[in-house]
Amino acid sequence: MKKWISILVFLSFCLSPLMAQDRVELFGYFESQAMGAEIKNEFLLLYSNKLRVDLKSSLSDNIIFAANFDYITYHGKTRWNILDFLAPNIISEIPQGMESFYVLPFSNRHFLDNAYIKLSFKHFDLTVGKQQISLGTGYVWNPTDVFNIKELFDPIYEQPGHNAVRLDLALGSMSTLTALFSPEDTWENSAKLIQFKGRISHFDYSLMAIEKVWRFHDYTEFDMENMNFLELPEKRQLLGASTAGELLGLGVWAEYGYNWMGSSQDFYELVVGTDYTFDFQTYMMVEYYRNTLGKTDYQQYDLNDWMRLIAMEQKAISRDQVYVFIQHPATDLLSIGLSIIYSISDNSVALVPTLNYSLSDNVEIFAYLNFNFGREGKVFSKNMGNGGLIRARVYF
Amino acid sequence: MKKILISIVIIVFVAPVLYGQELTGEDIIQKVNELFNVESGYAKAKMTIVTTSGQKRTFIYDSWSKNKGEKNLVRYLEPRRIKGQAVLMLNNADDIWMFFPRTQRVRKLATHAKKQKMQGSDFSYEDMGSGDAFINDFSSKRLEDEKMEGNDCYKLELTRAKESDISYSRLIMWIIKENFVPIVIDYYDEKDPTVLEKRLVQSDIRIIDDIPTAMKMVMYDKNDNTQTEMEFLEIKYNVILDDSMFTERELKK
Repeated sequence: MKKWISILVFLSFCLSPLMAQDRVELFGYFESQAMGAEIKNEFLLLYSNKLRVDLKSSLSDNIIFAANFDYITYHGKTRWNILDFLAPNIISEIPQGMESFYVLPFSNRHFLDNAYIKLSFKHFDLTVGKQQISLGTGYVWNPTDVFNIKELFDPIYEQPGHNAVRLDLALGSMSTLTALFSPEDTWENSAKLIQFKGRISHFDYSLMAIEKVWRFHDYTEFDMENMNFLELPEKRQLLGASTAGELLGLGVWAEYGYNWMGSSQDFYELVVGTDYTFDFQTYMMVEYYRNTLGKTDYQQYDLNDWMRLIAMEQKAISRDQVYVFIQHPATDLLSIGLSIIYSISDNSVALVPTLNYSLSDNVEIFAYLNFNFGREGKVFSKNMGNGGLIRARVYF
Repeated sequence: MKKILISIVIIVFVAPVLYGQELTGEDIIQKVNELFNVESGYAKAKMTIVTTSGQKRTFIYDSWSKNKGEKNLVRYLEPRRIKGQAVLMLNNADDIWMFFPRTQRVRKLATHAKKQKMQGSDFSYEDMGSGDAFINDFSSKRLEDEKMEGNDCYKLELTRAKESDISYSRLIMWIIKENFVPIVIDYYDEKDPTVLEKRLVQSDIRIIDDIPTAMKMVMYDKNDNTQTEMEFLEIKYNVILDDSMFTERELKK
């Protein structure tokens, strides 16, 4: 009770002066979603409701405060047994008696996703607080983005905020130097980034160096003290580059990151992509992704690979993948699309038909189905569950 | 004295007639281009899309342009769904960047994206930010004058230049003689110059900062049978805009 009163007092102190100003904006969205998957001849359903409230205030001409609060509830099948998705040879790696730990829980949660203050001056911007960090030019995969991993079937969904101090320094009209510090428990463990962005002719490019601790888990050992799988933090140092521009009328982009790991094997990631809009308004995109952390043969996948993929600690477990996306405006309000995700290394594929419908100015519906065509044990195997998702979002 | 009188007669009576007759297609389109591309400007506009099913979608946006339309920035204010989304077009829309506030991502778009409909409207990005396109991408020929929408008009045919990659094979334009406002523009299919694709009709012409300005325009899509109405809520010409406004940094604000 005391805690709630403190929060209310704090909020009233913080928000009252803001709300009193003319330039405070309150907006956001409500999202209702149903997701289903066929697992072992049973169609399982998970429902969720999400309320996102955004607050943005221009405290003066060059100071902005922005924040958003998310409240998410889950219903239906809120505990998914990960073993249902895995092949028998992978399940056999699980130490006896630990089977019950392999559960993917969906618990109601509410959190402050972003909350930052941005100071803008003629030659630099300084952003302090919890903020989104978006790096790279790739559409589905971003080798240089060590902060986020995109959802493969829904790559344009917003990413969470990260606590950071960010300085963007303008170097003329076409170049920017960015320095970012994301604090952890010690200076050593904190993430540091430096990035230079520039332009040559019709090409944008960026060069960057990043240091961050990658918090992998060992999913064969359980840490009873923390009641979680054993964490294996490891320092990751990345040198990367990305570019986007136009070649022979096609949109092209590329992104590369080489990673030096503290103790495990170094690896690199590469993305090359192209897109085009045809005269009949159909848009097409192809993106190739290589991750040398991934395996070339699906029989090499182990329990840790699968768990890190499912827990979104790792972008891919197969070495080479291709993403193809085609979208066409069927009517003024309806767009239909198809994503084809092909894992070259293990020869499995997922087909994802998509639909976007504008129900009114501020209401949109998004839906996709996913069909996996791959043998058991492969990235897109039927075990992963054919299913889909439908989402209605109302903006206010 | 006789000489002077003859000169006066020529200047007063003959010159305007000759001038009117002597204006070539290139002269007229040059004047239209000057009218379209003022040095710099700001506009707040409301765009209403009427779909095939008769439903309406309304957008309100701010836009700024500089260097006679060479640099353009568009930022959406409404609806809430896309509030904060922004498009930066430089080099007469040869370079396009789009900012998505929900993901804080800026995407560089290739020129083919200019063909895409702007927020599903009947205006493409190319229609919105093509700068000197009437001059650089077309050759113009004057046709016989006609009356259009009750105005005495010059009629021009603009044919796509060989090296141009613009999405229309030709345009037919009716230009009000009095003020050089193109009151109607017909856009023809990229491949088949006989197929009418879109028609733009401008109206409600007002003088703003000494510049005749059509406050309302409607684009009719003849293939899809849809229309998009654009209404300027506010316009200012020759405003002072810093170059830093047309950068990726500003796009993200």
